[in-house]
Order: sequence, then structure tokens, then C-alpha cells
Amino acid sequence: MTADSEYKRRTVLKAGSAAVTATLVATPAATPAAAAQTDSSSVDMTLRVNGRDHRLAVEPRVTLLDALRERLDLTGTKKGCDRGECGACTVLVDGRRIKSCLTLAVMRQNVEITTIEGLVRGDKLHPLQEAFIRQDALQCGGCTPGQIMSGVACISEGHTRSADEIREWMSGNLCRCACYPNIVAAIQDAAK
Amino acid sequence: MTVGRPVERVDGRAKVTGGARYTADRTLPGMLYSYLVMGTIARGRVTAVDTAAARAVPGVVEVFTHENAPRLTSDQHFMPLQGTQIHYNGQIVAITVATTLEQAQEAAELVRVTYAPETPKAVIADALTEVYLPANQEVIVGDPTAGLAAAEVTVTQNYSSPPHHHNPIEPHATVAQWDGDRLTVHETSQGVVNAQRTFATTFGIPQTNVRVLAPYLGGGFGGKSPVWPHSLLNAAIARQLGRPAKMVLARSQMYSIVSHRAEFRQQVTLGAKRDGTLTALVHHSTQQLSRTSENMYSHSISSRMLYACPNIHTRQQGVRLDVPTSRFMRSPQMASHFGLETALDELSYQLGIDPVELRRRNYTDVNPTTGERFSSRFLLDCYKLGADAFGWSRRNPKPGSTRDGHEFVGWGMATEAHDHNANPSSAMVRMAADGTVLSQTATQDIGTGTYTVFTQVVADALGVPLNQVKVELADTNFPPAALSAGSGTIASVTGAVNAAALAVRTAVVQLAVSNPASPLHGVSVERIITQHGYLFSPDRSRRESYRAVMARHGAPVQNTSSMTNARGYSTGAVFVEVRVDPRYGRVRVTRGVGAYDAGRVMNHKTARSQVIGGFTWGIGNALMEHTVLDRRTARVVNPNLSTYLLAVNADVPEIDAIFVNKPDPVSTALGARGFGETPITGVPAAIGNAIFHATGRRIRDLPFTQDKLLY
Ligand code: FES
Ligand code: FES
Repeated sequence: MTADSEYKRRTVLKAGSAAVTATLVATPAATPAAAAQTDSSSVDMTLRVNGRDHRLAVEPRVTLLDALRERLDLTGTKKGCDRGECGACTVLVDGRRIKSCLTLAVMRQNVEITTIEGLVRGDKLHPLQEAFIRQDALQCGGCTPGQIMSGVACISEGHTRSADEIREWMSGNLCRCACYPNIVAAIQDAAK
Repeated sequence: MTVGRPVERVDGRAKVTGGARYTADRTLPGMLYSYLVMGTIARGRVTAVDTAAARAVPGVVEVFTHENAPRLTSDQHFMPLQGTQIHYNGQIVAITVATTLEQAQEAAELVRVTYAPETPKAVIADALTEVYLPANQEVIVGDPTAGLAAAEVTVTQNYSSPPHHHNPIEPHATVAQWDGDRLTVHETSQGVVNAQRTFATTFGIPQTNVRVLAPYLGGGFGGKSPVWPHSLLNAAIARQLGRPAKMVLARSQMYSIVSHRAEFRQQVTLGAKRDGTLTALVHHSTQQLSRTSENMYSHSISSRMLYACPNIHTRQQGVRLDVPTSRFMRSPQMASHFGLETALDELSYQLGIDPVELRRRNYTDVNPTTGERFSSRFLLDCYKLGADAFGWSRRNPKPGSTRDGHEFVGWGMATEAHDHNANPSSAMVRMAADGTVLSQTATQDIGTGTYTVFTQVVADALGVPLNQVKVELADTNFPPAALSAGSGTIASVTGAVNAAALAVRTAVVQLAVSNPASPLHGVSVERIITQHGYLFSPDRSRRESYRAVMARHGAPVQNTSSMTNARGYSTGAVFVEVRVDPRYGRVRVTRGVGAYDAGRVMNHKTARSQVIGGFTWGIGNALMEHTVLDRRTARVVNPNLSTYLLAVNADVPEIDAIFVNKPDPVSTALGARGFGETPITGVPAAIGNAIFHATGRRIRDLPFTQDKLLY
């Protein structure tokens, strides 16, 4: 590990697109300063996920989502857009729902992270997981972990007083297969 | 019997726990990450690529450009990185490869490309003089000119719709691993068998050397039906570098290299008698093509197959633009169908005939283009069931006649219709010595419920409980089976699965009745009843479990069967209510009812979900979805999910799905027809028709965004 631990947030936040800018004109070669910035630098960190401490060494620019998926092999959390638009990466941090693609792993130490893998108790599904199956609130399953984590939070926030309220508070989680009415029904079921 | 029942998804548990492994979830030892660099001009040439800064990024193993990329050809698609030519904006111009994803992404941003650009053409409006008629894109039935001359009323209108992008929530991903000249690819694929063929052809190796897997697919909608060049390039990179390689597309990259629904313009002319009978139907369309492909996917099939009209003329023109090649997208016929079903609504108002009644008067159970009788068609039942459930008879047809507070309320309807594929397929069923059953076939479950329906089919054929059956899919080691596109999975593969299961049943029954140790010894094979995991004598006085028969036999019983099915056509009727806020031009869909003839319904739960999904796509297509191209640069300006708007939860009301549920006698899929693509086709027109009913405003250009209602 080197001392250079500059958080490359700009790189992280731009990562969704590698389209090259300013390409119609010749561009200067990378400056030495820019070259220096590209030095890789891992930092040791501990992430508490689903009640277990995971020690890992990754660069500070690694998002929580990529740390979960590519380093901890917790691939239940999905990447749909990598820029906060789809909700597939929703996890709970201290019980609050967040989009794990929009936060850096290094920033999420000393908190309780809950992913879809952490909802099961032994062999028993969480009531919302059961309700998703019962109501057929999933098709391809690509959005489903994010929907369920978001739904768990939606219930604990108390945003389930009406179907319309659930629709509104679940609208940050896209479902391209479009299971929306069934997702609403599942959340109503589990909120009972 | 479990077929038909609303059985819960058997893959539900894997999907709600995060246990289902999708392509991008694969991580292999020593695996490298590849990441794409996309070009920024639409037409011209690459003059130089500077990769020095990219190569200097720690962890970067290689940077590929057109100068050093593996040489590949594709018999299906334009292959980038083989030369300097640029055909569309967002073409692959380089690939970085590194030991971590972050390193590959960082390097991709540092690749500097210089171009010699030329002026591109991005939209049909900019190339109207270049419209042409590709081969085999015109059908004439009867005498359309005479039909129009005989008409007492005619409607001629132009309609248009924008490009759309498939946008499955799971990005395209590919993980390639070589072992000598054997290749294993985890691929986000709607068709592993086709993918296997493509990889084998590209790399010049026997098909048996390629294994493609896609046990879970996070949505495809047509966009994952072929193997796109980036997957071939990634596999070539893995071979060249001697390490497994994974490539996952960024969302923005999915707006240029994995296809889209083409921009579409159409003119529909209807001629009719005063009683509503159609005398002529002329449907001419123009769709966007690319510089490298003439493929087109919306063929006015509804105009040729849906209504009784003696004189039909369809013509699908194209125009080549500097944009990527389009592909079929859920549902291909939607674009042309929107024109037809809107024109019929316009005709109904000209004639003063209720839109449902107008369609009933033009109902046919004979294919108007070929003269052949449909094997079964219950569209009239759909009109009736749907209209009754919706309360259509209470509709006052006068536009603007219903208000609720400050909102205008409108009711609209349309016929829904789509053809479906049927591809020869095979499947294996094996009962193990412990009585458990495994079925394997190389078709896919793309979210539609294949795992569940085949579990039901096998369980019913054998007479065993659902939990005794396991279905495995989407692995080319399994018997080859259909591509999951064109509503073809259930229609194509069910027959083979059923036949294999029945063959296993017969073999096991034979084992029982021929063995003196069995209580069923001596009963004739045909008279045995199988149910709940048991074999019974005809009067049920004697029985033996499958488990006991198999334990005595001590070895598995297996069968592989193949089957071909007929293609088909599934229809329905959709009814919607909209509320339009005149102050903002905002349209909300507040109610939806769809009634369908899909042949036999295999699983009411998953079939209903197909309706909800299709209806929601229809809302999106009607009210928000559109890809915007900058006309100067032919660049997609909304390549992300915050500006390419999909319907969200708050956009979708309760949707009532009704099925006629009568088996199609020619279907080898236990009477089922392909269905997935039917319940979206009519929704945009139904919503537009409802907006007209609410406001008296007819909008003929999708989507019906607020600006168009406010002008
Ligand atoms: S991946 Fe985080 S919101 Fe889409
Ligand atoms: S289930 Fe496929 S995206 Fe939601």
C-alpha cells in the first residue's frame, strides 16, 4: 500500500461512461502530474456486512457496490446503471436505504450494511421475500434484490399507508420487466 | 394437474435471496476486466489513437485499438476495431484491459482518439430523398386502388414513433475463459445455442468446443438475442492474453452497441363502407436502417393478418442513416400496429360507430393475406370480456364529455396482436434412482417463467409433485432448443419437454408392470394412472410409488425428445382510462383491462405478469420513452436512465388481465401459443385514443409528452 490515498471521486462518479471528450482536436499527452495521480493505492478497511466483519484492501475510489460484488463476492446486490438512477444496488446502511453505487466503500466503515443476502434467517425467508414470491413481484430478478431492500425500508419508514404512497416511495427502483403492481401488493402483504 | 394453475415461480427463492448467479456475478481466478472506449463521431475515420496515458495506469495489461485488436469477422454484424471506419456514434474505438475494474475504467478515460469526421445523417427527416424499398418488403392483396375507389369513407393519416432502447436492468455482460481451443462463455444471452454457433464460427472451432451458459438473465427484450461484437472481442482478448476476461457494459454504452428499436414513420389509409366494413387498407412505413445492415423488424403484420379486408397493400421502406443497426424489441409489431389501431379509432369517429363495434364488424377468422383459416381465434370473446370488465358500454363517445374536477377523463381501446416464433427444440428428462426428476434443455428463462412452466409440464406428464422436479436451462451442454425471442420459448420447447417426460413415464410404468415384485405386476401399461408420485391400478386398489419402482430398478431412466411447433398469432383487446390535466398537459393512466386469446394458459400467475409487463411498456412507449438523437452529431443525448425515462411504479395503475384460455388445436405446446409480445402492441394506440376521447386532441407522434398536449 502506498501513501497516496487521494480519493478519486471524480473518476468514480464519471465511471458510467468512458466516452472520450474533446476528440475533434489533438489533445495533449497526459501531464506528469496526471500520470502521478494514476498511481494505484489500496487502503485497508473493514466493512460490516450482514453482521460479519470483512477486512479488505481496495483503492479508496472503489464504490461500496463494487466492493460488495467484485471483492466480497456478495453478488446479490446488482449494478444496473452505476449512477444512482435504477435502484438495483439498493442496500441498507444502519437500516436506511441507500444506492451503493453512489457511495465509496471506504466511507462506509463502522456502520451496519445489510444486503439481500442478509435478510434470510437460517432457512427462513424475510416476510417481504416471501411476499415477493407469493405476489409474483419479480420476473427476470435483475431489479429484485434492490426492490426488496428498498421495500424493507419503505415498510420500516411507514410509507405503506396506501397503495399510492407505496407507489410513490418505491419509484426510485426501476423494474424493466415491470412488476410494479405486484411489488405494491407484496409490500402491502408484508406490511400487514 | 398443475398446468394452468397460478404456481409460484420455482426460481423465486434464488431470485429473492440474491442466490441466483447472473453473468456479471461470475468472478474467475486470474480474471481480467475489459472496458470499452466509445467513439464520439458518427461518420468518418479514426486518424490516431494515443494510448500512452492509458497504458501508464497501474494494473493495465493491454489497450486494444484498431491497430492491434485481434482480427475477427462476423457474419452477422459490423465488427468494430478492424479498421478506421466509423459508422455510428458510440462505436467501439478501443478496449482497455486491467486487473481491476477501476483500473480498466480509468484507462478507458485516458485513451485519446483523433478523427477525420464527416457530416452524419441521424434522423429520417434529414434523408427523405434517400428512402428506398428493400427487396421483399411489399405485399399486395386484391386491388387496393379499386378498394379505395369503392370506399364511402376514407381516413389517411401519418403516424410516427421514436427510437427506443431495450434497457434491461441487467447490463450486457460476458465472461470468457479458454482452455486450449475450448471456450466457455457466461453470456447475457437470450439464445445460448445461437451464441454457441456464433462463437464457434468466429473463432473457427467446432461448435462442440464452445460452451455458453446463461442460467439467469436479467431481462433482454430482444436486445440480448444475438452475440454482439463486444462479446466476441472480449473472448478474443481472453484468448490472446491467456486469462479469463470479463466485460460488463456501462449503461451509457448500451445506447450504441446493443441495438434499439428503429425510428419509424408510417402512413395508414383506410377505406370503408358506411357500415364500417373495410374496403381497402394501405399501410406504408419508413424505418431507419444503418450503413451496414438492411434489417427491419416492424412489418405491418397486423395490417395483413388482423382484419377482414379484401384489398391490402403494405410496404416497408428504409433509409440508411449514420446510426447503429436496429433490432427487434419488445414488441416489434408495436410501431406499425400503433398506426393501424389509431387510424381505426379515427375511422370510428368519422363513421360514428363505436370503436369496439367497428373492429367486430371487421373480424375475421381467416388470414386475409393467405386465405387460410386460423387454427383458433377467440378475438371476439376478448372484445366482449374486456369491454364488460371495463364497463365500456357506459362510455359517452363524445370527446371531452367526462370531467372529474379539473381533469378530463378519457376511455380508449385497441386490438392487441402479435405473431410468435416456433423453433425446433429438444429436451431431456431423467428420473433418478431415488425418484427425483431432472429436465434439461438449452432454452432460456428470460424472466417469463420458463423454469416454472416446464416444472409444471414435467410434473403433470409424470404425475409427480412439483417439488420432485428440477429444471435446468440455458447451457449448451443440454439438448439444443429455441431462442427466447419472438414470444417463442413456451411455444417452441414445451412439446419436447412433455414428450420426454411422457416417455420416461411409460418406461417406468413398464418397469413396474413387468416385474413380479411390483403390486402392479401384470396391469397393462396403458391402464396405469400416475398421480402424486404414485402409479395406480385402474381401480386404484393397488399402487406403487415411483420411488419404489426406481429403487428396485436401481438406475436412472432417461429420454431426450425433439418437437417442432407451428408458428402462431395471439390476439386480445385492451381498454384504458386516462386522466389529462389541461393545465400541464399531464396524462396519467388510471385503469387498464386486457383480455387475451393466448391459447391455453400454462400458468396464470406468470401469464398475468406478462400482461402487466407489456401494459407497462405500453404506458412507457405512449407517455415517456424516447431516445433523442442530436441531428448534427447523430449522438444519443439521453444515454442514461435519468433522461431516457421508463415507466416507474407511480406510473402504473392496477391492471386487470383476463384470458379466454382455450387450447389452440395445432399447438404442440399443450395448446399454448406464444404470448409475451401481444400485450403491449395495442396500448400506445389505446392511450392515444383515450387522450382523444378525453380532450378531442389527436396526437399522432409518440410519445404523447406534455409539450404536445399543451401547444
Ligand atoms: S446501480 Fe446504483 S442506482 Fe443503478
Ligand atoms: S424483474 Fe426484471 S427488472 Fe424487475
